[in-house]
Amino acid sequence: MNNQRWTIGLAVFFIIASAFTLFVWIPLDIETGVIETFRRRVNIGDAMAPTVMAAGILVVSIIMGVMAVLRPVEDAKSPEEGLDRQSFAFLLRLIIALGAGLALMFYTGPLVVDLINAMGGEIGTYRLLKDTIPYKFIGYIIGGFVLVFGTIRVIENRFSLTAAWVAIIAVLVLTFLYKVPFDNLLLPPNGDF
Amino acid sequence: MGLLDHIWLGIVTVFTADPVFSVAGLPISITIVMVIMGFFFGIFVGATPGIGGPFAMSISLPILISIFGFTPDALLPVLGFLVGIMKGSTVGGAVPAILFNTPGTPDSLMTTLDGYPLTKKGQPGKALRVAHFSSVSGDTFSDIVLITCAPFLAILVEKFLDFPEKAALIILSLAFVSAVVGSNVWKGLLAALLGLFIAYIGTGEDGYPRLSMGSDNLANGFPLISAVLGVLILGEVFKAFEDMWREMRETSAITNVEVKGDNKLHWHEIRRILPFIGISASIGTMVGALPGIGNTLAATLGYATGRKVHKDDPPFGEGAIEGIAATEAANSAVAGANLIPVLSLGIPGNISAVFILLATETIGGFNPGPQVFRLVPDQINQEMVYAFGLFTTMIFANGLNWTFGGVFMRWMGIMIKIPKQRLLPIVLLLTLTAIYVQQTSIFAVYVTLGFGFLGYFMRKLKLSVLAFVIAYILANNLEESMREAFAVTGADPWFLFAGPISISFIGLAIAVVVFFARNQKDLS
Repeated sequence: MNNQRWTIGLAVFFIIASAFTLFVWIPLDIETGVIETFRRRVNIGDAMAPTVMAAGILVVSIIMGVMAVLRPVEDAKSPEEGLDRQSFAFLLRLIIALGAGLALMFYTGPLVVDLINAMGGEIGTYRLLKDTIPYKFIGYIIGGFVLVFGTIRVIENRFSLTAAWVAIIAVLVLTFLYKVPFDNLLLPPNGDF
Repeated sequence: MGLLDHIWLGIVTVFTADPVFSVAGLPISITIVMVIMGFFFGIFVGATPGIGGPFAMSISLPILISIFGFTPDALLPVLGFLVGIMKGSTVGGAVPAILFNTPGTPDSLMTTLDGYPLTKKGQPGKALRVAHFSSVSGDTFSDIVLITCAPFLAILVEKFLDFPEKAALIILSLAFVSAVVGSNVWKGLLAALLGLFIAYIGTGEDGYPRLSMGSDNLANGFPLISAVLGVLILGEVFKAFEDMWREMRETSAITNVEVKGDNKLHWHEIRRILPFIGISASIGTMVGALPGIGNTLAATLGYATGRKVHKDDPPFGEGAIEGIAATEAANSAVAGANLIPVLSLGIPGNISAVFILLATETIGGFNPGPQVFRLVPDQINQEMVYAFGLFTTMIFANGLNWTFGGVFMRWMGIMIKIPKQRLLPIVLLLTLTAIYVQQTSIFAVYVTLGFGFLGYFMRKLKLSVLAFVIAYILANNLEESMREAFAVTGADPWFLFAGPISISFIGLAIAVVVFFARNQKDLS
């Protein structure tokens, strides 16, 4: 088996991607050509740079792939390093932790406001309350805590009370650092509302 | 206005503009305060294993821009803080390497070879003093070369290079970075081309932003800061997460060392290490002036050269102070010299230089490149004032380093006790918050994370992230130079071969790629 399997895989991926870009994406998604003529003046068009780069990627990927196939490295005793099953297992866990943290950061504030309104609170929309305590911090603090604690949980592969305290203190310190000296700065998700 | 007037204005601006308080009637400017804060923060993060100068710069930049805004008045305070971090983290990086055999960065790996054996002999204080003296000496030497060379190089560039030559020079720089960074030239080229291609998404001169797939979020392309921070910093954080996740199954104990014997650095020892510092500082400066070749190669070359020169006991690798001096002087000398291509050509050479350039691009009013040192009769070239202001902050930070750096650095040994697996997730949240605060859009956070995963995959698959980032930053300059060159040569398709200088640059670019492709050692 060729010991440069990841290099070959990378070459194949970029050959397909660059060919798709050259023949489908660029023609469909750029309105000017490679060369443009405007009032008898010839200029470089918007398509030139991406076309040259995509063509370059295609050529380099072909050379890289061919060289990896024809000239496998002789002194390499083991297969090339790259991603393995453990990498994907790790990535999946990390994405879950990050996704949960960001989702809570973005939606907790508006959901709490909606819930209070649904229960007859009549407090108005999140947009109106985004500069009011506790609504302005609730998403950042809960989402930030889950993001930090969840990531520590993934790395250490265990739940730890100390890690929870670290996450709580970290997120409170960050909130304090950003909001107390600089009141005009918007913490997530308040800039989007 | 002459050169000396600009130098004086640069110094005066740093020391007097926007005073925040006064000490004994002497006003202290915001820039000076920022350099001091950046410097001590730099030592702090340099001494913290797992995070270093680039992390600190990446986290600070969006926050600083949010505080100081996008006006040219923000330039020197922001650059001063970044320069402070750059200087502080360079000396701070030696602390974990010497005290705990834990190189925080690849370039301090060589410092462990003699630093840790000296610590085990009970002389960590001496090892830290040697590292500090050598590091600051190398850094100062490199700054002197930067300050004297960059303006003259810029004047030469401005005099002899027109648009075709400038385009050819950017191509040469990218070819060089792609060829020398990493073990495979083709992967380096692929990374650079990918960086260029992604930078062209959502930009262009036509009303419809090219390759944006109709998305409003992509109408102005990917935010530069999200792309750079994602690939450089989050990619590294994710990779570190995975390494720790794999390592958590193994336990390692930290050996406590008893301090004993002579821990001072004496004059006769300084005389012993001076030749090694001189050789390594020269090597580091030369290596640093070339784009893409970083501290690690400088440290390796400095150490290897020092080992050949060293004849006395103890030999290198067994606690020789000359070994620490050779490594630290070389890797510290890279820092200043790396700004030579930034200030004279507008081309960043290493990660610290990327952040300096990123700050100037984001704030505006100062575009590093040959025009910075252009003298206009009877006018002040404000960009030249900023450049000499930047040099002044570097000299001031060096002064801090000589006076307070050593003591503060030795206090920082406690930083090793912070567990990396708990610190880095906080760094991740801090980075994402910093991006949001600057861009005020959750889309920018998603883009940063997307680039972070791209950076992670690039590291795993040995694609050079530095080549990618430098290409991403230079993409706009390259396209503009190409468009202008094409126009000024009357739509000549062979504009890159219009003159002998551009032909030489293109020829050299091809030669560099061919040379390194023939001599590459993949899968080392």
